[in-house]
Amino acid sequence: MSTIALHDEHNHDHADHGHHKETLISKYIFSMDHKMIAKQFLITGIIMAVIAMGLSILFRIQLAWPDQNFPFLETFLGKWAEGGRIKPDFYLALVTIHGTIMVFFVLTAGLSGTFSNLLIPLQIGARDMASPFLNMLSYWFFFMACVIMMSSFFIQTGPASGGWTVYPPLSVVAKAMPGSGLGMTLWLISMVLFVASSLMGGINYVSTILNMRTKGMDLWKMPLTIWAFFLTAILGILSFPVLVAGVVLMVFDRSFGTSFYLSDIVMGTDILPNEGGSPILWQHLFWFLGHPEVYIVIMPALGISSEVISVNSRKPIFGYHAMVYSLIGITVLSFIVWGHHMFVTGMNPLLGGVFMITTLIIAVPSAVKTFNYLATLWRGNIRFTPAMLFAIGLVSFFISGGLTGIFLGNASLDINLHDTYFVVAHFHLVMGSAAIFGMLAGVYHWFPKMFGRMMNAKLGYLHFWLTFIAAYLVFFPLHFLGLDGVPRRYYAFTEFEFMKKWLTVNVFVTWAAIMAALAQVAFLFNFFYSIFKGKVSPQNPWESNTLEWTAPVEHLHGNWPGEIPTVYRWPYDYSKPGHDADFIPQTVPFSQTMSSNLPHDFEGNAEAEKIQQDWELANPVAESKG
Amino acid sequence: MVLTMEKMQDTFDPKPRKFIVWLFVVSSTIMFGGFTSYYLVFAASKGKGHGLVLPDAFIYSSLVIIASSITLVLASKALKKLNFSLQRNMLWITVILAVAFGVMQFNAWGSMVRTGATLVGNNAAISFIYVVSGMHLLHIIGGVGLIINALAGSYKSLPVAKVQYRMEIASIFWHFIDILWIYLYVFLLLNR
Repeated sequence: MSTIALHDEHNHDHADHGHHKETLISKYIFSMDHKMIAKQFLITGIIMAVIAMGLSILFRIQLAWPDQNFPFLETFLGKWAEGGRIKPDFYLALVTIHGTIMVFFVLTAGLSGTFSNLLIPLQIGARDMASPFLNMLSYWFFFMACVIMMSSFFIQTGPASGGWTVYPPLSVVAKAMPGSGLGMTLWLISMVLFVASSLMGGINYVSTILNMRTKGMDLWKMPLTIWAFFLTAILGILSFPVLVAGVVLMVFDRSFGTSFYLSDIVMGTDILPNEGGSPILWQHLFWFLGHPEVYIVIMPALGISSEVISVNSRKPIFGYHAMVYSLIGITVLSFIVWGHHMFVTGMNPLLGGVFMITTLIIAVPSAVKTFNYLATLWRGNIRFTPAMLFAIGLVSFFISGGLTGIFLGNASLDINLHDTYFVVAHFHLVMGSAAIFGMLAGVYHWFPKMFGRMMNAKLGYLHFWLTFIAAYLVFFPLHFLGLDGVPRRYYAFTEFEFMKKWLTVNVFVTWAAIMAALAQVAFLFNFFYSIFKGKVSPQNPWESNTLEWTAPVEHLHGNWPGEIPTVYRWPYDYSKPGHDADFIPQTVPFSQTMSSNLPHDFEGNAEAEKIQQDWELANPVAESKG
Repeated sequence: MVLTMEKMQDTFDPKPRKFIVWLFVVSSTIMFGGFTSYYLVFAASKGKGHGLVLPDAFIYSSLVIIASSITLVLASKALKKLNFSLQRNMLWITVILAVAFGVMQFNAWGSMVRTGATLVGNNAAISFIYVVSGMHLLHIIGGVGLIINALAGSYKSLPVAKVQYRMEIASIFWHFIDILWIYLYVFLLLNR
């Protein structure tokens, strides 16, 4: 035991942390153990997801029954739903905060924060992150950001309501609407904390992956999860600071009266003094982050599903290198496509054409990944675990949502489709549903690693099918609203003749959304019940090759008692011909698997090849065994 | 057991943490890249920049911050020779120069205000000068924190490896914000 304690000490570097008595506070609250921080991120993320889902149900009720009164709404929301009807201002706040929470707090912090923290040290063979202290700070900044964002529901003027992209002037002129006041200030404070949290996390992930891999774990032996987290963190480091720059300028405009984004604004009869600024510049700065952000959301989910699909197909991932290179391709391309969010801002058509081409090129790495998933599934010994179903669900959403991206990426079609429900349908499938499904796949798959217990599979199946069907029922019809020109962010569709025919569809969509929300009860019950009462997990429940399953089930700070295992092979040796089991963990040396070794396993090491050839000559039967 | 303990002794590995500082430098560079690209696009669309003759105080502050980098290099050299007292003195001089830098930045802002080029006004390019130099000054405060951290390590006589580690991260960051200021100053000079 003392060995473990010593590892503990060396991990902290601070002499004053040398004593290793774990108190309740140091273990569960201000923990510096990456596994505990992962759980903190996950549970906070789940709570935020439930809140954001609740907000979406509220505005779906408004969209479906704009003329009806729901007295219970007034009970819960008070003056924001006087007479049982949601007020227009509050409706705008609902969509804004729903978007903000889902994109940033659930799918960025909840997804990357959870799985990067849990899996990076465990899968590369490190005792903890490069800086456990920064890692802890990263969680607490995130937590403060959540609290501040939610606190805006408890102020007189309500939360920010200019949309999650907070375009000026609504976000800058404090008197523009109720949500532009204190609510917007809180939004900005919350986002600054959030960006700080993301950067501390991301910097830590990159440094850990590049510097702290165990012996034998070269970059090309890393699981695709790690590649995805690595590239996601790089994206964050390179794009979030630009948002900070934009936000700083916005704070100056709001609080000090500068004119970075404002010019020629008339409010009622008042002419504002600001001159010379440009709201378009905010859009450039915002989308320079905003577009990479959608890949920050989807790439970890893609990495998780690569791993889950390969493990549960009992086959090596198809095209491992192609998977990595397409992630790299997406990473690079994501920085030169932001203009496709701004086709209708009066952009020079030539520039629009450039952004269109770069955008459409992203279809190439995305398609490579999709086909590789399908090829991995092809003729595999598929085990339909709940995690596997969610991973396959991700592939489905990624295809059906991705296809509409090709429409939207086209500068001329976008004139019609911009700011309609077509866009809403597109991104809710391709990054919303797909990323959530990736996250859920990860939760079901690594739950045993996090809590030492298994989740109930039957409830998992119920959860999957209800959610999968409901998600399509919600988002598929929205494409048709969008094609018909129905704009997003409108409070009610009763005022325009051509939109009235869509009211019945909105009722249908709202019922589907309620069904999706109820399906999450199966998950929440399963999750919290299994933490305490789930079946105790075996060492390696999914018979997986990666390193985390060699660490003991009961957690210890430092992950492995004694030496960190050495890695000898890539993580995808599933169903290798000639081997008796259908998986070979990364820690098994080739000398123990002589019957299944292949020439390319030795990466040109002549001596090893010679030993293998000699062994094969001496054991001719082995050849035919496979 | 003894073996493990010996191993632990020499596994203080500063590399991953130093790497963290480098990554912070990268992200900070990107942030100022964001600011300056705002400025470039803004100035291009208006056909004009801030149009000011920058206050002389900026020249002096640039000289001071270059001097502070030199004293910091001298402190590092002193530490390599294990001359702790020289290292501390040089670090103290660096801190003093840093404070002087801050004072001069305030002076520069003061003289800009006196000529009528205030933060709040209708020329965002002028407001921009205040914002970037202010954001840079925030970095200076962080940098001073790191230098004081290095000083404290030296006074507490931590193991040499740790004193060196603290010295190195302070140096990486401080030279970065030095170069950053020079970049910002030259940028503002060239893009009137």
